[in-house]
Amino acid sequence: MNSARSRWRAVLLRHESVLLALLLAEILFFNVAGARFGSLNNAFDIVRHSVEIGLLALVLTPIILTGGIDLSLGSLLGLCAILFGKMWRDGGMPIELAAGCTLGIGALAGALNAALIAGLRLPALIVTLGTYSLFRGLAEAITRGVDTFTNFPPVLLALGQERFAGLPAQGWAFALIAAVVWLLVHRTTSGRAWRAIGFAPEGARYAGLPVTRRIASAYVLAGTVAALAAIIYTARVGQAKADAGTGYELLAITAVVLGGTSIFGGIGTVHGTLLGVAAIAVLNNGLVHARQPREVAGMLTGALLLIALTLSAAARGLGSRRG
Amino acid sequence: MSGQAGLLTRHFREFAVAAVLGILLLVLAAFAPAFFEWQPLLSRMTREAPVLVVACGIAPILIARQIDISVGSIFGVCSVAAGLLATEGWPVVLVAGASISMGAVLGGINGGFVAGLRLPSIVVTLATMVVWREALRWWRQGEFVNLPAGAQWFGHSQVTGQLLLVGTAGAVLVVLAWAAKNLSAGRFVYASGSDAEAARLAGLRPQLVTFWTFVVAGALCGLAAMMNLVQSPQVDPKSGAGLELRAIAAAVVGGVAVSGGRGTMWGVFLGLALLACVNPALTYLHVHAFWEKAIQGVIILLAVAADVRATEARARVRR
Repeated sequence: MNSARSRWRAVLLRHESVLLALLLAEILFFNVAGARFGSLNNAFDIVRHSVEIGLLALVLTPIILTGGIDLSLGSLLGLCAILFGKMWRDGGMPIELAAGCTLGIGALAGALNAALIAGLRLPALIVTLGTYSLFRGLAEAITRGVDTFTNFPPVLLALGQERFAGLPAQGWAFALIAAVVWLLVHRTTSGRAWRAIGFAPEGARYAGLPVTRRIASAYVLAGTVAALAAIIYTARVGQAKADAGTGYELLAITAVVLGGTSIFGGIGTVHGTLLGVAAIAVLNNGLVHARQPREVAGMLTGALLLIALTLSAAARGLGSRRG
Repeated sequence: MSGQAGLLTRHFREFAVAAVLGILLLVLAAFAPAFFEWQPLLSRMTREAPVLVVACGIAPILIARQIDISVGSIFGVCSVAAGLLATEGWPVVLVAGASISMGAVLGGINGGFVAGLRLPSIVVTLATMVVWREALRWWRQGEFVNLPAGAQWFGHSQVTGQLLLVGTAGAVLVVLAWAAKNLSAGRFVYASGSDAEAARLAGLRPQLVTFWTFVVAGALCGLAAMMNLVQSPQVDPKSGAGLELRAIAAAVVGGVAVSGGRGTMWGVFLGLALLACVNPALTYLHVHAFWEKAIQGVIILLAVAADVRATEARARVRR
C-alpha cells in the first residue's frame, strides 16, 4: 500500500518536474533566440498578460479535482467586466464599491452553477455550456453589442498597469489568490474532500463528506475569482467590452490539464497548474519576441497538451501494469 | 404496456420539445405571420441545414458517452480546403468528396487519440480544436477564398440550390435516424454509451465503435462545410467558429444525454429547430436580437434541468 502510494507520488513528481524542465528550457531557448526576451520589463509583461488566465486556471483546479468542469468562466469574466463598468459609469458608484459589488455578482453567478451542478446534480459540462451562453448573452444584451466603458479613474488603472513594491500590481493579487487556493487544496479538509469526490463521488457520500456543499464551494469560489479577473482585465486594458475574456476558459483548462490535473478528477496539484500557466505564458511571449507569428504559439500549446496527455496516460499504463 | 403508451414514455422528451416548438410556431403564426412566407423561410432553413448535419454527426458521439468540441475547426479547415480546390477548377462532386474525406481523416485523428490511446475526449478535441483553428489562421492570415462563378448554388438557380441543400440535410437526418434504430452498428453506439463494460462482455468493441463515431462526425463536418460553401461567393477562414457549441446545444435540447446511451436524431432535429426559431421570434416580437444568446443559454439550462425528474424516475425504477 505504502509503496503504491510512493510510486504515485513519484509519477506526480515526475510530471511536474518534467513541466519545470520544459519551462526552464523555454526560458533558456527564448533568451538566446529572442531579442529583449530576458529583460526584467519583459518578465513583468509576461506576468501582466497571464494573470487573468492564471486566476481562472487556479480556481478551475478544485473544480476539475472534483471531476467537474466550468466552461462559463470566460463568459462570466465578460459579464462582470460589463457590469463593473455599468455600475461605475451609469450607476454612479465609487470605483471601490463597484468592484465590491462585481465580486458579489461573480459569487452569485458561481452560485447559479453550483445550485444546478451540486444541488440538482446535473452534468457540469452541459450546465456550464448553458451559462457560458447565458453570461455572454447577458453581456451582449446589456451593452447591445456596441457599448464600451472607458476613462476609468487612475486608481483602477494603477492595478493593471503600474508597479507596486517592485512588482506589477496585479501580480500581488495573483500571488495572494494562488497562496489561498494552494492552502485550500493541499492543507485543508476542503481540499481532501474535493479530491475524494473526484476519485469516487458515491464513496465520498457514503464516507459522510458533505459532497453537495464541497462541490458548491468550488464553483462559488470560481465565480468570485472570475469577477476579480474581470476587474484586473478592465484595469489592464483600460476598457470593458462585452467580448472580454472570450476563449479564456479553454486556455485555463489547457493550463490546468497541462499542469497534470486529471480531467476525470481526483488527481492534481495547484503548483502543477501554476507551472502550466507559466509554460503557456512564456511560450506565447517568447515566440512573439522570436518574431514568430502568434498562431504558432496557439498550435504549439495544443500540441503540448496532447503530448502531456499521452505521456501521462503512458505513465499511468506503466504504473497499473506494475501494480 | 401498450405500444402506444410505450412510445410516448420512451420518447417523452422529443414530444415535449415538439410541443414547445409547436407553441412557439403558433405564437409566431398569430403575431408574425410573415415568418411563414416561403422565400425567407426557405433561406432560414438553408442557413441551418449545415448546422443540422453537424449536430447529427455530434449526436452519436454524445450517445457513445464522448464529446467532440473540434467540429467547428474541422468545418473551418474543410471549408477553406474545399474552397481552394474549387478555385483550382475541380468539379463540384470531386470537391465535395475531398471535403468529406478530409473531414473523415480529421475526425479519425480525434478518434485515434480517444479510442486508441484512451485519452479523455474533451481534452483531446479541445487540443485539436485549437491546433486546427490556429493552423488555419496561420495559413490564411484572415484572407477569404474567392470562389469561381459556377460554384455558388452548385451552378443552379438560388431556389434550386436551396432546395438541394435542405433536401441533403433531410436525407442525412432520415438515413442516420433509420441507421440508429435499425442497423446493428447504430445499436452498438447506444450499447457502448450506456455501459461500455457490458457492451464489451457482450462481444462488442466499444473503442472501435467510439473511433467510428468520430470518423462519421468528421465526414459530416466535411459535408456540412461543402453545404455552407455553396451559399456564398467567398469562404471566410473563420467559418465554423462556435459551431460546436450550437451543435451540442441542439443535441442536448433535443434530449441527447451527455451521460451517454440516450437520444434520437429526431430529437436533435427538434432541438435545433427550437433554437433556430428563437432569433426570428425575437425579431418579429420586437425584442432586441442581442438577447438571443442569453435566451439560448436559458433554453439549454431548462432542457438539462428538465432531465432531473426523468433521471430520478429512472433511478427509482432501477432500485
